[in-house]
Amino acid sequence: MLRKVNPVLSDGTRIEDLFNLETREVSLSTMYDPELYQIEMEKIFTKVWLFLGHTSEIPNSGDYVVRHMGEDEVIVARDRKGDVHVSLNVCPHRGMHICTAESGNAAVHKCIYHGWAFRNDGSFVGAPLEKEKMHGEIYPKEKLGLKKARVQLYHGLIFATWDQDAAPLEEQLGDMKFYYDILFGKTEGGLEVLGPPQRLTINANWKTAGEQSACDGFHTLTLHRSQIDIGNFGGDGDSLDDFAPVMNGINVAEKGNALRCISAASTFRMLIGSEDFDKLSDEERLKKMPPPGIVTDQLFNEMKQRLSPEQLHVVSVAPPQVGGMFPNVNILFIYAPLPDGTLGSGLLIHSINPKAPDKFQWVTWFFAERDTPEEVKQAMRAAAVQTGGTSGLIEQDDSDTWPHMTDAARGGWGRTETLKYQAIGGINRPEGWPDKANVYAGLSKDDAQWHWWQQYHEVMTK
Amino acid sequence: MNNTAEKIAPFEIPPIDIPKPTDSITHYQVQQFLHLDAYLLDHNRLAEWLNILAPDLRYFVPVRQTRERVDRDKEFSTTIGHMDDDFQSISMRVHRLVNTKSAWSEDPASRVRRFVSNVSVWETDVDGEYDVNSYLLMTRNRFYQEDYQLLSAERHDRVRRKGETFELVSREVRMDQAVLGMPNLAIFL
Repeated sequence: MLRKVNPVLSDGTRIEDLFNLETREVSLSTMYDPELYQIEMEKIFTKVWLFLGHTSEIPNSGDYVVRHMGEDEVIVARDRKGDVHVSLNVCPHRGMHICTAESGNAAVHKCIYHGWAFRNDGSFVGAPLEKEKMHGEIYPKEKLGLKKARVQLYHGLIFATWDQDAAPLEEQLGDMKFYYDILFGKTEGGLEVLGPPQRLTINANWKTAGEQSACDGFHTLTLHRSQIDIGNFGGDGDSLDDFAPVMNGINVAEKGNALRCISAASTFRMLIGSEDFDKLSDEERLKKMPPPGIVTDQLFNEMKQRLSPEQLHVVSVAPPQVGGMFPNVNILFIYAPLPDGTLGSGLLIHSINPKAPDKFQWVTWFFAERDTPEEVKQAMRAAAVQTGGTSGLIEQDDSDTWPHMTDAARGGWGRTETLKYQAIGGINRPEGWPDKANVYAGLSKDDAQWHWWQQYHEVMTK
Repeated sequence: MNNTAEKIAPFEIPPIDIPKPTDSITHYQVQQFLHLDAYLLDHNRLAEWLNILAPDLRYFVPVRQTRERVDRDKEFSTTIGHMDDDFQSISMRVHRLVNTKSAWSEDPASRVRRFVSNVSVWETDVDGEYDVNSYLLMTRNRFYQEDYQLLSAERHDRVRRKGETFELVSREVRMDQAVLGMPNLAIFL
């Protein structure tokens, strides 16, 4: 493993040489370079908090799912006390995967090779033929457990890191926690998964999807043009706003985390009508266009109690809908139109799991508030699957684009090209908008994405 | 010639538990219908393809997980699919592909061939409706790629007689991969 503080690639390139911080450019070589990839595995994927799933996937004692942290498989399991543990899915005896199924329930995980057994918290139970001491007498049993990651739960979302000294997750989220709390924590019951995640393989570098997650707004106009053409993003006028209301709003970003808060007024006009939305109070607006799944009085009141007036203002003016979390989480919490023109919605979280310099796994979870009525959940599920993930009308265009970037980055000349983030809007906080994270109101520009690269730069050169 | 050898096995062998398929004429007609389905899709005649879909269509490609043998009945999700569509949403997909100039996930279009085999047809409780199982091997080639994106699956269809031919009432595509080996399903299975 690489342990250098400031790693240098074998051709003498330093990490900082891949950036021009002044002109906001990043070398396209970053989208393939195998050496850089190995450094990322060390400096990012063994250091930062990584999203692995949701507690509702493992509701009972003994439930487990197998997930990835970088290229490592981990077992995410619930123990008898209800605590969630994340352990490396590698037997410390001879390196076999302990779990070969991807989900299930087991009080004890037994390696099929030589029979070493481990509890849900990763601790070593023992090996067969106890008195013959297969596990030897050199190490005590306490030292023969599965390698354990540190776990932190955040509104039911499961995060883990290999860095035992890492600051709490809150540190990584920074002021963006204010907005993530809106997405994930507005009801008592919280979110639940609607089923197991979709998984597919994309032959591209993980950062193609990673950096796009930090509010790449301009691609909406061209890559997702078909959505505008068929009316899914609204747009019967000829002004840009009318063409693509989703491009307008407020980008918020900090430490590589970013969210696009899309103007509720545009969404409302697009979906419901031309009524003067702006003149309504926060509460009236929330009632007319509640967040996805907040359809009962009970849920509405919970939201009002759990969110601060500032957060409620955000939801009523420009609710956060798309974005991500550094380094490899993509979020799509959308107010989506249905084929019949009515308002649908979908709550999706993706993780971008690196598999090789030119390959990642795209994992998509579908959520609803646990206490949302069943028939609303059904409608949300179908709308979400038709919008995002494998066959989603929006995301199928993204996943087909990313491999081209990585292929381009292999070329002798291609790798010398740069990715440019030079559409600078600058800090612009509207009156009444809370002073949380960096606020960029207006048409979505490159500011938030640049934060992603700044964070990448910082972590990689630390 | 009589084979008098005794079958010796370490356990009692259960009888084959698969209902008897339908008559050969119906089988042939259904097979022709599946060939038409594949032909229209392979040749990107998507607007025409909508004709063979029933208005009450349910189209589902369930997510699959690797499970222990004892949990094999839980491999396929009953809730989350890679695709989860009805006629209206399918027609929206086709509308995007056929009537816009910006459906980039299929423009340039993939070169796709659907090999449909191992067809079995069974009568159902509903007159004129049949349950149909078939194997699908789909090859997809795109851009400059020298290799193929492959997908093998078992299709569980329900078809309904409509005039001389049939319409597709439901299709559940049970993929053999737990992790899909291509970046999207911008095509139909």
